Amino acid sequence: MNFSFSEDQILLRNSVRAALDEQCKPAHVRAMMEDDRSGYSESLWGEMAKLGWLGLPFAEEQGGAGLGLVELALVLEEMGRAAYPGPYFASVVLAGLGLQAGGSAAQKERWLPAIASGQARGTAALLEDSLDWDPASTTATATRTGAGWSISGLKRFVPWAHVADVALVPARAPEGVSLFLVDPRAAGVTVTPMVGIDLANRWSELRLDGAAGELMGPAGGAGPVLEGLLRRAAVGASAEMLGAARRCLDMSVGYAKVREQFGQLIGSFQAIRHRCAEMLLEVEKAHAAVYYAAWALSAGAEDAAMAASVCKSFVSEAARQVCGDAIQVHGGIGFTWEYDLHLYFKRAKALEPLYGDAAYHRELLVRGQAA
Amino acid sequence: MDLNYTVEDVAFRKQVRTWLEQNMPRQIRNLEERKAWHRKLYEAGYLGMGWPREYGGQGARPMEQAIVADEMARAGAPAPTNGLGVGIVGPTIVVHGTDAQKRRYLRKILTAEEMWCQLYSEPNAGSDLAALRTVAEDKGDHFQVTGQKIWTSGGALADWGLLLARTDTAVAKHKGISCFLINMRQPGVDVRPLKQITGSSEFCEVFMTSARVEKEDQIGRLGEGWGIAQTTLGYERGGRALARITSYAGQYNQLMNAARRLKRNGRPILDDAVTRQKLGRIWADLEVERYGALRVLTMLERGEHPGAGGSLTKLSYSEFEKRFMEMAEEILGPYGQLTDGVPPEFRLEVDTAVGDHGTWAYAFLWSRAGTIYAGSSEIQKNVIGERILGLPKESRADRVGGTR
Repeated sequence: MNFSFSEDQILLRNSVRAALDEQCKPAHVRAMMEDDRSGYSESLWGEMAKLGWLGLPFAEEQGGAGLGLVELALVLEEMGRAAYPGPYFASVVLAGLGLQAGGSAAQKERWLPAIASGQARGTAALLEDSLDWDPASTTATATRTGAGWSISGLKRFVPWAHVADVALVPARAPEGVSLFLVDPRAAGVTVTPMVGIDLANRWSELRLDGAAGELMGPAGGAGPVLEGLLRRAAVGASAEMLGAARRCLDMSVGYAKVREQFGQLIGSFQAIRHRCAEMLLEVEKAHAAVYYAAWALSAGAEDAAMAASVCKSFVSEAARQVCGDAIQVHGGIGFTWEYDLHLYFKRAKALEPLYGDAAYHRELLVRGQAA
Repeated sequence: MDLNYTVEDVAFRKQVRTWLEQNMPRQIRNLEERKAWHRKLYEAGYLGMGWPREYGGQGARPMEQAIVADEMARAGAPAPTNGLGVGIVGPTIVVHGTDAQKRRYLRKILTAEEMWCQLYSEPNAGSDLAALRTVAEDKGDHFQVTGQKIWTSGGALADWGLLLARTDTAVAKHKGISCFLINMRQPGVDVRPLKQITGSSEFCEVFMTSARVEKEDQIGRLGEGWGIAQTTLGYERGGRALARITSYAGQYNQLMNAARRLKRNGRPILDDAVTRQKLGRIWADLEVERYGALRVLTMLERGEHPGAGGSLTKLSYSEFEKRFMEMAEEILGPYGQLTDGVPPEFRLEVDTAVGDHGTWAYAFLWSRAGTIYAGSSEIQKNVIGERILGLPKESRADRVGGTR
């Protein structure tokens, strides 16, 4: 039993933090928020490829580092802490882990080294207009054509689809729900921006109208791959929320040590100090939930599915609480656009409903027990 | 990071489980039987395990202690007795006591031949423990103690008490406190049970009137009592970290069963979305408590002391217990309030904090204690704010000057 990071893991975290502190300062995040083209920095992307982050969880023969979800969560936590603007999660977690779990040897060979090297970006279109995360709810359709498949349907909240070279798209074939690889730039695909409050985290609507799809895995057999991917995405998003929450806590504590009212530092008031203590407790619990789940999924532990749902349900609400409390501790300045707090507050909020919100995962927990 | 138990720990757990199956009493009817069970645990090496070997312990690892407690919780084993003696007084004597004190007291704590209580809180010194007014006056060959203590757990059974008393009123309040061992069986010590909201009396009030403390029963130097008390509060070694979770998990399963039987609008409440959300939330909270316990045990196994981090742990589990019991009451409705006449299917099958067979009503009421005793949640948040987050202390009227 060892619930602590190895030296290598600590080194990884420190190097990710140092790189992002240097290259993903709030000013960079703001510049990307206002960027009217891609919304992310190609040079930072290239840097991330060089540092090995883009292939972190892929096998070495696919240009990856062969690391596990704990390491991936460490990177994602730092990205949340920096409110990193870019398609890292979409490419590495959604497309990368999805391909890794369900792709054929040829599909992996085609995409994983390209993602790892930074040449290609991917995403996954897991949500339709009903917002139901259950893969069985998929209504997009797939029909056989001479050469392959033709996909039609409406997908929403697809992260970074506007810069993606490939998207994993669930659609209903005659055999049942199946996964397809779709080129978002191909004919029959319309990509329309959906602008949320987190401008550093871009979403699109994907309208598929007879778009060409390449089947990934067996027709009708997407269920297990999608469920596994959803769990990994839920834990990955939790790691990002954890990072955002920790940043909000750090900023609040820092502010409480310098801001004076009534002739005293506000951190000396129990109303503030107790709130900060509660925030720390939530952050520490979220840390335990994220890394337990990341380990459990990596190790194939018996309780891995449960741990993922515990993690997402807990961290969604903990991050909401901590980031919200941070605005309250700051008072008026925390409500200004100029102050950086809202970058992290919005990152946590953006991820809160994704990959199953707290209520969705609580229901999964009880369903597993009541059966 | 590897959250599997080691082969050794799995084997040890199996050994404890087997021993409990063969030795656990079906029922404990009185204190003598509880002491007998306590001695049996001690002789098997399962009690005071973390104490150094030279004083009768096993020098066991924190994980081994946690596993024993966890297996006892799993089996529904009766609690041993003399918990404050084994958990707090003994370790205090080990660290701060003289050789003579160690020889005189330690073994009898482990065997429960001598029962102990802790004489800290006073009517006007609760969260502000350093404001205590009980006085120990130096009479040359002994100390004479006068004052009142309250919230003395196990006071009615205790042969001895670990006492904090003021020996110097001229200095700042934290600096005038000393630590003693006091014989509870003497005319100057009057112990009265304190009836709590549970209707029971696990706590006492203790009135000391010119009570005698021998010179050789002073712990540490005069004026060092506050520092000693601070370290004793830190002796929580994670021993019950897993057991606590296992007990709740057992109770959670009982609630699931109750939710299958109870109905709302003609359907089992287990099919009701609101109930399921409540259950799912508390289960997630419980699992997160378990992960936290594994983190604490990892630290302890590496020989690191959690320090002020112990405040996070205590704040977390005591507040969790309140939420858990409130949810249990919501599931059970008025069944949850029964202290007598509980139908068998809604009975709580656990030992309560004091070892009596529990009811949900008792456990619910008892859950209000955890966020008050051993440093209230508010005190824990002060500690977390000041010592972990480094936030400024509040300006306080009592930081300077004497207590007179």
